[in-house]
Amino acid sequence: MSGDGAMSGDDRKRAPIRFDRHTPEYREQFEAVTQELQGKCPIAWSETYDGHWVASGHHEVFEIARSADVLSNDHDVKGERRGYEGISIPAPPRAKSSRGGFLEMDPPEQRYYRQTLNPYLSPAAVNRWIPLVDEVVRASIDERIEEGRIDFVDDLANIVPAVLTMAMMGIQLKKWTVYNEPAHASVYTPPNSPDQARITEMQRAMGRDLYTSIVEIRANPRPGLVDALVRADINGSTPPDDELLGVLALLIGGGFDTTTALTAHALEWLSENPRQRERLSRERGALLDSATEEFLRYFAPAPGDGRTFSADCEIVGTRFKEGERLWLSWAMANRDPSVFPEPNTVDLERKGNRHSSFGLGIHRCIGSNVARMVFKRMVTQVLDRMADFVCDPEGAEHYETIGVIQGMRHLPATFTPGPRLGAGLDETLDALQKVCDEQRLAEPVTVRRAVAKIDH
Amino acid sequence: MKVRVDPDRCQGHTLCAMRAPEVFELSEIDGHASVADEEVPADQEDQVNEAVMSCPERAIAIVSTAGARS
Repeated sequence: MSGDGAMSGDDRKRAPIRFDRHTPEYREQFEAVTQELQGKCPIAWSETYDGHWVASGHHEVFEIARSADVLSNDHDVKGERRGYEGISIPAPPRAKSSRGGFLEMDPPEQRYYRQTLNPYLSPAAVNRWIPLVDEVVRASIDERIEEGRIDFVDDLANIVPAVLTMAMMGIQLKKWTVYNEPAHASVYTPPNSPDQARITEMQRAMGRDLYTSIVEIRANPRPGLVDALVRADINGSTPPDDELLGVLALLIGGGFDTTTALTAHALEWLSENPRQRERLSRERGALLDSATEEFLRYFAPAPGDGRTFSADCEIVGTRFKEGERLWLSWAMANRDPSVFPEPNTVDLERKGNRHSSFGLGIHRCIGSNVARMVFKRMVTQVLDRMADFVCDPEGAEHYETIGVIQGMRHLPATFTPGPRLGAGLDETLDALQKVCDEQRLAEPVTVRRAVAKIDH
Repeated sequence: MKVRVDPDRCQGHTLCAMRAPEVFELSEIDGHASVADEEVPADQEDQVNEAVMSCPERAIAIVSTAGARS
C-alpha cells in the first residue's frame, strides 16, 4: 500500500479491510491475519464498529502511538468536551460507561495521576514487595503441592496478583476474593451470557468495597494507592469520587487479568516445551529477564488500545481526520518480521526485543514493573517445586476471543507431589496482613525504602 | 563510545537497565532511565548496544567519540 506521497484517508477507505478482533476467528487465525495486514496494509480502515483505523505494522504503531499531540485517550462520558469514546472499540454502552481512570484521560490531567502513583510502582518501589509475594506464592503452591495437581489459573496466577494489588492499595489482603472473580469474569463473560447478572452483582459488590475503602481511608489515613489518590493534587484539587473509582478500577482491571494471562500462557508453553523449560530453570540467572520479555511479546496479554485523532494530521504517509477512531495493535506490532526475526517463534534469549506489550508513549502501562516481578516470582517457584509439571490440554481453557485480553480461564496441570513448606493461604494472608500494617509496606518509596521483612 | 538517554522519549520501560545495569540507572520515583557517565566502558559496549536495540521508545542514542550520531 505504500505509494508516492501521502495517502489520504478517503483513498484508504475505498478499500476497507474486513477486521473484527472480537470474533473467535481473529484468535484462531491471528498469525495469518497479522501477516496479511502487515504485508498489504499496515494502516487499514475497517468498517466494523462505526469505522476505525487499524494499525498493525510495528513502524506504524510506533509512530502513531508516540504522536500524543494529535491523539486522544479521552473518554468524555458526560459530553463535556468533544465526545471522544476512550480506549475501547466499540465503546461500552452509554448507560454503563464511566471513565477508565487516567488511561482514558489526556495530559496534563493524566500526568498528575501518574505522578501521584509512580512512587508506588517504580522498580525500586515494587522490589520492596518481593518477600511478601514469595510468601503468597509459597502458600498458594503449598495448598496443592501434596496433591500433585493444580490449576495454574485458579490456584496461583489469579491469587498472587490480586493479593499484591490489595496490599499495594491498602485494602485488607483477605478481600482479594471480593475483587478476583469480577475482575476476570467481566473480561471473559460475553454480554449475552446467562451468567451476566451474577457477574454484574459481583462487580457491584466490588464497587461498594472500593467506595467503602475510599471513605474509610479519607477519614483515617493508612498507606497505599487509595490514600495517594484520595489526597492527590490534580492541578490544585483532589479527585471527585467517580474519578477515584475509575482510577482504582483501572488499577484492578489492569493488574489482575493481564498478569494472570501472561503467567498462564507462559506456563502452558513451558509445559509443551520441556527442554526449554529445563534450560530456563537451569540458566534462569541469565535467561529469566529475556524470557519474560519474550513471553510478553509473544502472548501480549493486552492486545491493543483504542485512540481518537484529536486533529487532522498526517503520520507515516496516511492522512487522518479529527474525530476518527484508531486501534493500535500491540499484539500485531509484536509479530512484525521487520523488527522481530521469526516473529511467530518463541526465542527465550531474543535480542533487540523492543515489544510494545506495555504500550508505547505516554500511556506506558504504569504497572509494568509489578507485572514483571509477580510473573518472575511465580514462574521461579513453579520451576523449583513442580519441575515436571504437565498441563492438561483437555482442561486448558483459553478466552474465546482476544479483543480485550488474551487470557485463560483454566490451566490444570499435574506434577510429582512434594512436601508443604509452611502454612496454607488463609493463615499466611493473616500473618502477612500484620507485616503490611506494622511495617507500613504500602508507603511510597519516597517514604519507605526498606524491603519487606518477613520472619519464617 | 558515548551513550545518551533522551528524557523526553524515555517512558520507563526499564529494558535498558535489564540489559546493561552497570550503565543505566533508573529513577527511584518513576523508573525512567539515565546514564551517570556518558562514556561507556569498553567491556559494556555490547550490553549498551543491546539496550539501544531493546528500547521500545528508541530513546537511547550512541554518540561516537567523534561526536557524530551513529
